[in-house]
Amino acid sequence: MDLSTLAKGCAALSAATLASAALAGTGPGFDDPNNWPQYHRSYNAWRFSPLEQINKSNVKNLHVAWIHQPGTVTHGLQATPIVIDGVMYSIAADNNVFALDAATGKVIWRFTPKLDPIVKEVFYQSASRGVTVGRGKVFLGTLDGRFIALDQKTGKQLWATQLTDMKKDYGALFSSPPQLAGETLFGGTTGGDQPVIGKIFAVNADTGARTWTFEVPRDDPKSWPGDSRRSGGGSAWLPGTYDPTTDTIYIGTSNASPDFNHDDRVGDNLYTATLLALEPKTGKIKWHRQEVPQDTWDFDAAYEALLVPDKNGKTTLVHLNKNGFVYVMDKDSGAMVNAWQYAENMNWAKGVDVKTGLPIEPMYPETDQKKLHCPNLLGARSWNQGAYNPNTRLWYSQGMEVCNFVTSAKQEAIAGIGQLSLGLSDIKLTDPPGKKADGWLAAFDPLTGKQAWKVRFDMPPLSAVLATASGLVFTGDMYGGLFAFDADNGKELWKFSAGSGARGGPVSYAVNGKQYIAIPTGLGSHAPGFLTGAFPRIRDLPGGAALIVFAVD
Amino acid sequence: MLAPLPWLLSALFMPAPVHAGDDAAGAQPPFNLNDPARIQAGKKRFGSTCAAYCHGAEGDGGKTPRFKGKSDFLPAEAYKVITEGRTGADVMPPWGKAFTPEQIWELVAYLRFLSTQPASE
Repeated sequence: MDLSTLAKGCAALSAATLASAALAGTGPGFDDPNNWPQYHRSYNAWRFSPLEQINKSNVKNLHVAWIHQPGTVTHGLQATPIVIDGVMYSIAADNNVFALDAATGKVIWRFTPKLDPIVKEVFYQSASRGVTVGRGKVFLGTLDGRFIALDQKTGKQLWATQLTDMKKDYGALFSSPPQLAGETLFGGTTGGDQPVIGKIFAVNADTGARTWTFEVPRDDPKSWPGDSRRSGGGSAWLPGTYDPTTDTIYIGTSNASPDFNHDDRVGDNLYTATLLALEPKTGKIKWHRQEVPQDTWDFDAAYEALLVPDKNGKTTLVHLNKNGFVYVMDKDSGAMVNAWQYAENMNWAKGVDVKTGLPIEPMYPETDQKKLHCPNLLGARSWNQGAYNPNTRLWYSQGMEVCNFVTSAKQEAIAGIGQLSLGLSDIKLTDPPGKKADGWLAAFDPLTGKQAWKVRFDMPPLSAVLATASGLVFTGDMYGGLFAFDADNGKELWKFSAGSGARGGPVSYAVNGKQYIAIPTGLGSHAPGFLTGAFPRIRDLPGGAALIVFAVD
Repeated sequence: MLAPLPWLLSALFMPAPVHAGDDAAGAQPPFNLNDPARIQAGKKRFGSTCAAYCHGAEGDGGKTPRFKGKSDFLPAEAYKVITEGRTGADVMPPWGKAFTPEQIWELVAYLRFLSTQPASE
């Protein structure tokens, strides 16, 4: 047998081992198995890899293939890397973008933007959740309020468009990668906790020319009495998703501002705490579901819009709110299908009405009164996304069981751009009543909330989750413990100590017939520091920035 | 009896810089840091501005060494960090443009008060 036949045979065998799962299903979630071409891998937000070379039997032999260290540890690594055709694209502190050989970690190119000095004064410094790759370009949202496009092959800047007025908008910046919807590049800024009108921006992806801007607080005195709209917040700070089959953008918005005081904004405060379905060309609303009218608990609706098949195969939208509830909706109309309680400890309402999707008897903060609110202002889970496995039909996602005492207060004018308008005079994290604060990773039926298994962590894990077709669930904790769990029962099958906590998105991909698991490590974001109030040992946890890539032989 | 008076007078009546950032190095408080009204003003500002998302109630959160029971607390050092911010594994933004020197010294007064309190754990 000559070498080329042998090589083809080996490639075929590897391809069969790698991608046999592709035979089990087709379409979004299963397509393009060797790559991680977008933020959640597929637009249904599954974070699911069809690859099976790494499986329950050999995962204990997972070893480090290579490590990339960007060199600056400020706020760790919060990105979900993109991998296309053997090249990994990721972003580290201060908007440094890297293109790496995904098999070896060798740096192909690096881009360092010149950022406006104002980035040293803002609240959300240094960090970004990733880049977007498409149309021959790499796109980023910058810390100084721009979208930038780079040439995918060379990393050279093609265009840059300033979108925010950072001085006017209290440092509103991009902490997430803008997303593609055809030729539209769209994304929202930070600022839900600041006295601004939160916005979602869109540009032409090929030229950077501005196309539309969506102002989240609706221009309606019934929604926003008096002057309250101007300081209503309502940012859309996480990546949205784009469904090309219906040409729909799904993107969720943040809480209303001032977070814990509603005295001056007694109205529904649309479209804060809302999941939006938008038309990509115009930014017009197709439908919306406001999960928390007049939100007064910092309950963002910004998390991922998960699309999963119901028992009849109909694709249904599953959406976790920070408030501790999951909203199950018709993806084309937003009509309620179900709602279920996700958080173990929840006291801000009696529940959510399954038919209307509205809170039942919410307990609002009242000015100058100290109240106990569960979940705490970081939410029932932070933004670290869950993952869905279409074979187990389970959704793997984490929880944070921490409450807070908050004394609501009238919000005075804020002086600096780095300041938040939280509408409180006092806040203290605390254990849930009768329990010790902790965290967990659970496997749920996403449509009903029926729990298959749950693993407890002494502190809430802050890494996103990765599910693979071979029945593995990968994630990391605040210590830097990286784990592979059995998707069927939560049994721990592999553990690795990375040395600093995980706060990014694990991914899986293949190059030349070999499967890799890439896990960003390096603790960052505001969550760990604030959580020290409930978990004092966080104080001693180190920062870091190491993108660790694993394989089996 | 008279010896401390000039020091006290200069501490109380020394002209404060217009901009907090102007005088961060080796700065002197323009009032007595033990003044309960100043401590209370600092406590109020801390609770509404510094606690949530960062330092936690009474500084029990955050990634800095604990404020309570901090035996090596230095007012000038605290003033400088609040004014200029700090970057390491995480970031504290600078407050020198957001607050006046007097407002920052009130925060320092509160932190100094916390340093005299028993440590949380």
